[in-house]
Amino acid sequence: MNSCTDCFSRNTCASADKPMEAYIRQLPRETAHHRVETQETKCGFGLQGVCCRLCANGPCRITPDAPRGICGANADTIVARNFLRAVAAGSGCYIHVVENTARQLKNTGLHKDKIRSEKALNHLAELFGVTGTDKYDLCVKVADAVLSDLYRPEYEPMELVEKLAYAPRVKRWKELGILPGGAKGEVFNNIVKTSTNLSSDPVEMMVSCLRLGISTGLYGLQLTNLLNDVVLGDPEIRMAPVGMNVIDPDYINILITGHQHSLFTYIQDRLLDEDVVAKAKAAGAKGFKLVGCTCVGQDLQLRGAHYTEIFDGHAGNNYISEAVLSCGAIDAVLSEFNCTLPGIEPICDELKIKQICLDVVAKKANAEYIPFHYETRQADGDRIIDAVIAAYTERRGKVPMNLFADHGNKNTLTGVSEGSLKAFLGGSWKPLIDLIVSGKIKGLAGVVGCSSVAYGHDTLTAELTKELIAKDILVLTAGCSSGGLENIGLMTPEAAELAGPNLKAVCKELGIPPVLNFGPCLAIGRLEIVATEIAGELGVDLPQLPLVLSAAQWLEEQALADGAFGLALGLPLHLGVPPFMTGSKLVTKVLTEDMVELTGGRVIIDPNGKSAANTLEAIIEEKRRALNI
Amino acid sequence: MERFVIIGAGAAGITAAQVLREFREKDVITVISTDEQVHSRCMLHKYLGHQRDAQGINFVGADFFEKHNIYHLAGQSVSKIDTQAKTVAYGDGYSTPYDKLLIATGAGFFIPPIPHFREAPNVFGFRDLSDALKIDDAFAKGKRVFIVGSGLVGLDAASALCERGAEITIAEMAPRVMPLQTDDYAASVYQKVFEERGCRFLLGIGATDAVVDGEGNITEVILSTGEHVPCDFIIMAAGVRPRIQIALDSGITAERAIQVDDHLRTSAPDVFAAGDCTGLSGVWPDAMAQGKAAALNMAGVDEVYEKPYPFKNTSNFFGVTMLSVGRLDQTEGAEILVHKTPKEYKKAIIKDGKLTGYLSLGDISNSGLYLHLIKNGINVGGKEDRIFRLTFADFYGINEKNGEYVYTV
Amino acid sequence: MKRIFIDPAKCDGCKSCTLACMASHQDMAPRQGSLTELRQAIYALDLTDPATQSRNRIVSDGEGGYRPLFCRHCDIPDCAGACMSGALQKNMETGLVEYNADKCAACYMCVMNCRYGVPAISPDRKRMVKCDFCQHLEEGPACVRACPKKAIEVREV
Repeated sequence: MNSCTDCFSRNTCASADKPMEAYIRQLPRETAHHRVETQETKCGFGLQGVCCRLCANGPCRITPDAPRGICGANADTIVARNFLRAVAAGSGCYIHVVENTARQLKNTGLHKDKIRSEKALNHLAELFGVTGTDKYDLCVKVADAVLSDLYRPEYEPMELVEKLAYAPRVKRWKELGILPGGAKGEVFNNIVKTSTNLSSDPVEMMVSCLRLGISTGLYGLQLTNLLNDVVLGDPEIRMAPVGMNVIDPDYINILITGHQHSLFTYIQDRLLDEDVVAKAKAAGAKGFKLVGCTCVGQDLQLRGAHYTEIFDGHAGNNYISEAVLSCGAIDAVLSEFNCTLPGIEPICDELKIKQICLDVVAKKANAEYIPFHYETRQADGDRIIDAVIAAYTERRGKVPMNLFADHGNKNTLTGVSEGSLKAFLGGSWKPLIDLIVSGKIKGLAGVVGCSSVAYGHDTLTAELTKELIAKDILVLTAGCSSGGLENIGLMTPEAAELAGPNLKAVCKELGIPPVLNFGPCLAIGRLEIVATEIAGELGVDLPQLPLVLSAAQWLEEQALADGAFGLALGLPLHLGVPPFMTGSKLVTKVLTEDMVELTGGRVIIDPNGKSAANTLEAIIEEKRRALNI
Repeated sequence: MERFVIIGAGAAGITAAQVLREFREKDVITVISTDEQVHSRCMLHKYLGHQRDAQGINFVGADFFEKHNIYHLAGQSVSKIDTQAKTVAYGDGYSTPYDKLLIATGAGFFIPPIPHFREAPNVFGFRDLSDALKIDDAFAKGKRVFIVGSGLVGLDAASALCERGAEITIAEMAPRVMPLQTDDYAASVYQKVFEERGCRFLLGIGATDAVVDGEGNITEVILSTGEHVPCDFIIMAAGVRPRIQIALDSGITAERAIQVDDHLRTSAPDVFAAGDCTGLSGVWPDAMAQGKAAALNMAGVDEVYEKPYPFKNTSNFFGVTMLSVGRLDQTEGAEILVHKTPKEYKKAIIKDGKLTGYLSLGDISNSGLYLHLIKNGINVGGKEDRIFRLTFADFYGINEKNGEYVYTV
Repeated sequence: MKRIFIDPAKCDGCKSCTLACMASHQDMAPRQGSLTELRQAIYALDLTDPATQSRNRIVSDGEGGYRPLFCRHCDIPDCAGACMSGALQKNMETGLVEYNADKCAACYMCVMNCRYGVPAISPDRKRMVKCDFCQHLEEGPACVRACPKKAIEVREV
């Protein structure tokens, strides 16, 4: 690590990753970790969700002296409206992702491009009940089935819901009247609902969140994974390096950020073509490498078995991206979605890192926008490659290197999916079920979602995870939580030592870590497939499983939409900080208490990892008792 | 070493003793009081209502005299001041010399000349702890109470006793309750809360005569309407008179009250007076302020006492709170603004751009500045449209040196 | 003595001080006053309950600026000078005007007498409410630490 004489004197936030914390503190530039301090004072009205700026009369804030906004909306209405708005926006994000993914699959079929998993394709075709003249036609049919659902009006129920979801759940959803209509229409309709002087019914709005949760979860999460499997290949369990050590300065390095892996399908193959490698060599590099960051990096890591040549590995989660760029060996950022932090922009400017954006929804202010079009992908791809080489030539030797070569580890277990895990277990869930029934694994906890920094970078996620595994609870991760936990070694087989005695024995026997990495946040959908299949094998409904969810360091609106899916599935959901809801007694009660009656799920708020783990353990034990195990 | 003597242990007397001690660490300070123990007369109703004991209405600590090294001659009445020899005669022929003397004898209740009232043993005032003790005894024997006067004192007594199950009749000569502090609406609100608790009001009605038993106790009050109201005892709350007898007997100038100059000096050298006996004001804060000013002058600090603004009060009966400042009755040529909601009632009287009266019933939080505006005749012209929402922000100023606020007008 | 000095030109009217004050004085108020703990206390605030009272107020000056109204713990306090129960006392050592709710008779002479309109009354009409300088917090007044603009700061007078 280089020493630094003119570091930012300001404090940085704590990180679960201590070496990373030290690295960031010595950086000669500002990162999100630094800005935590200047943003330490939070607006209390915002925290409680009782600030409304939906109209020019506002912002109105609820206080005991002012229990209603100017329009007359009370705390319940304001909180529910803000919350639904956030869930709808979050749903929109994931629906955008699945829409592009389905279009990509369709184009792959239409252009008879490379299909990496016919197994995945046939699985979907079977699930949807569609047939095709050949595998390419099948791609089109499968994609069309998805797209036509997404594009349905909000008042028409989506057809794949009942094919994708677990039957007992569908039954309950029908009873509650929350089967979603067209997914885009749902977003649209609910945004309308939350506009100025429209809905003021907090209960109806909370129910709408569940409907959005279902469309988000089944389409945005589950289907995105399954569609990507066809084009990008099935995940395979393997060991991989993680952290900043993956960066090799001898290559032209492209940092990829986003959630839409399928938009990289073309370029990640093209970068290995001889003529392109020759260009890189001409510029003085050994070739090209992709460095993973955020969820798209996780997805690439998950499918890394297919990309060993081009993919260096996953460097870290969203709040590491500024540090990764600071190492000096990254020449370009290729982004297509969040979580591409605006904070990278001044760093890219300073270090002459080329920013290219493939999707306008994630257009960074100083990025060049080269929209991804299937038809022009070859020309566009070459343009991108030339721009990146130009940046490499322009910057190397001129910008300082600040590598962090000993960061992370080289033996993180990755590639876990509903398919690869089942295969690992011998093609059946029975071994896992037996371990749960025998109590060797007390239960399952999905520690999912984002990474945040305001209360410490991955600190709660890490603390909670350690507590859970010490209680013999097997942790499954998806999202930026994975990135944080893998960099601190919790996904190495050695981490078994941190597990409780029973889980430790299981891990040692199987040679697995006590925390299994499913990859990107999209893979929350995979995790839920695992849960559904186990429930199916046991013949119980999802809320009966000894399974809990935690989005301990949930960050963004997408996480809230994911959370709404978790609640619709009837799962207990822990959050480290409240989703701006506590200003409404009604909304808080619906989410933390009444939800149990509605779906079986509920929200648990706890900023403390230890006590949250205790709560989650108690829930697991209660569910075990109910199942007589 | 100087000898300071204070007659009276009320707000003025006690404040004076405390301030004197601050300025004169070593001198001798003696307080002579008829009261056996220090108490706040404004809290007598808490004692009578059995919410607090005598110590609970002590407005200084139980160790006040000990802590400040002050002699307290409790339960002693002063008979005469020899202003030549500079001695005070008290108790059974005792006497104590003084270098500086403060008369802070307060005010006593007044009994109008109604037949039997001045003689009857079951007619009580409600000014001192001793009064409350007597009422407590009487109440043990009979629960029918007749209260003359519905001012703050009368209602204090009524509020204390009605919570204890008394059957209370209150006669008020004026057409509304608390006539000095209220207007008709505010009065009706208070009347209602007392009536809900079983009190009966006779408004615009006086007591004119009484029926007495063999021991001279009044058993029935005869009203100006001719009605007979049976009762077990009577509480007089029809006004107070400054206690000036000592001054009169000692040749100190006094008419209705003891006469003082702007340094609170009486006509006799080195004799000062403070509190209700000066007739300058009848409210607690002013008595404290006078006690402090007199003490400063006694200690040799030249302190001019500015005339108090006496038209001010707050009340809190059964959680109905009111602030009343200025002259609500003087409305000629004035603009009257009223704000009324189910929870609040506010009234402002503005004359020539200045507030002359302000009434607030309900949440009286943060309303202290209205007294300051009225008392000091601060111009509020142009602020009429938000007269009920004025805050110090409207007159904001900061003393940069010490960070205190100052009015900018 | 210490006093909270005010620079009204820096105030943005965000009311962070107001909520910090509420949070510091609610039943579950943190005994340590770290900002993180105060934030947790803010989540728990019932902003629809009149009993959730702030001891400070931020008032608009009508021209886009704000005028923070905070107890001055005056050198000569109007409020303590009006107290007939002994509940309000100027502590000569700390300079603070301290309030003892057990002594208070809720007569509200203090409310009437404070020329700056600082004292408030509790919704149950049994107490007065004013700044206590967060004496229960080692770190000092919660409001000061919550102010993102440093418009209020504790200074020795």
